[in-house]
Amino acid sequence: MTSYDSDKAAKIQAHLHSHLPSEPALRVKALESLLVERGLVASETLDAWVEAYSEEIGPRRGAQVVARAWVDAEFKARLLDNAAQAIVEFGFEGNATGDLKAVENTADAHNIVVCTLCSCYPFSLLGMSPPWYKSAAYRARVVREPRKVLAEFGVDLGDDIAVRVWDSTAEIRYLVVPQRPAGTEGWDEAALAAIVTRNSMIGTDRELVAGAE
Amino acid sequence: MDTVHDLGGKDGFGVVDVHDSGKPFEHDWEGRMWALSRSSRLPSLTIDWWRHVVERIPPAAHMSIPYFEKWCLTELACYVDAGEFTLEEAVSGHTEQQADAGKPATVADVIASNRASAKTFEVVADVEAAFNVGHRVETRSHSVATHTRLPAYARGRVGKVLAQRGAHPLADDSAQGVETPQHLYTVEFSARELWGDDASPHDTVALDLWESYLVST
Repeated sequence: MTSYDSDKAAKIQAHLHSHLPSEPALRVKALESLLVERGLVASETLDAWVEAYSEEIGPRRGAQVVARAWVDAEFKARLLDNAAQAIVEFGFEGNATGDLKAVENTADAHNIVVCTLCSCYPFSLLGMSPPWYKSAAYRARVVREPRKVLAEFGVDLGDDIAVRVWDSTAEIRYLVVPQRPAGTEGWDEAALAAIVTRNSMIGTDRELVAGAE
Repeated sequence: MDTVHDLGGKDGFGVVDVHDSGKPFEHDWEGRMWALSRSSRLPSLTIDWWRHVVERIPPAAHMSIPYFEKWCLTELACYVDAGEFTLEEAVSGHTEQQADAGKPATVADVIASNRASAKTFEVVADVEAAFNVGHRVETRSHSVATHTRLPAYARGRVGKVLAQRGAHPLADDSAQGVETPQHLYTVEFSARELWGDDASPHDTVALDLWESYLVST
């Protein structure tokens, strides 16, 4: 049984870190071989998870949700009211989306999401998080100087646009709904989804480009 | 417990490396680690205990090793802590006690399993929420000895309740194996309240905070 003894956990962590091979690939290999030998998981099941999160579960899911919100006002209202429930309409619910909230960019407000304490992320909707999202620089700085961080992503915000930072400190996860760009009138959902970038759904991208289709 | 994991507002990390290959996993071992974390986990574990065990990685290592390597150490540490494997087994990657995992899952199986794993953390509380939307609240100013989800940068600060989120298990207690339903709120702080006059007067930072982190002002 789990001991819930913090100091015991610290001793185990220190022992493992100093005795395991230093290469992360070898460390993960040790964990995998242990679990496979004990019969807790089959190697082929791991292959299946890697494939699922490489091919099926990724940011294209979030993009489809955003595109529908752009064309369907009733869906958008449901998404902003209860995003966890709204994405069930697509079958996109799963890991870390049970308490999902959607926040909408407007002409005078920009939303950006971070987890300063670990790297919480709505995996089942956006897939694996990008390296920068897990970096110390992003986690440390975006709450304090979001405009400078945004500029590093090529997003320069005027003083008239307020920045709303969302620090995911509990189990609530956030999806940013970017603004629909001009020049996309009459486009169907698939065409619209194709121009929604992953970063725009985290908040490190703002001006989506109609020509990107 | 204020270990090095609490990064909000810290200086010295330089610019953000915005490069992104677009690949879900930069290295194969990261994909394996993700898959391992999805497919097997101790039933006696809470997510908050797991996060706390991440926080107990030695500080220098915590700051220098990759994200999924922290997951790997933490998975191993949780198994060792729970008595599932010995330290020697964890270090060697081999166990004498072997068993067969049975039929492996297909991609369709794991997609269904991922979908079925969706769950709200909202639970029923037997008390009413103490704060309403718009309520001015001040965050607790002191550090605590246990796992907590009130970051140092937001302590002793005044904000306003943006939303009630229902009751969720208090992370501090859940990290000790105790489920304590407590009301959770999204609390919005002005950037100037957190960072002083250098910050934009228009900007805000919102955090999801439990009721015991807050007092009425």
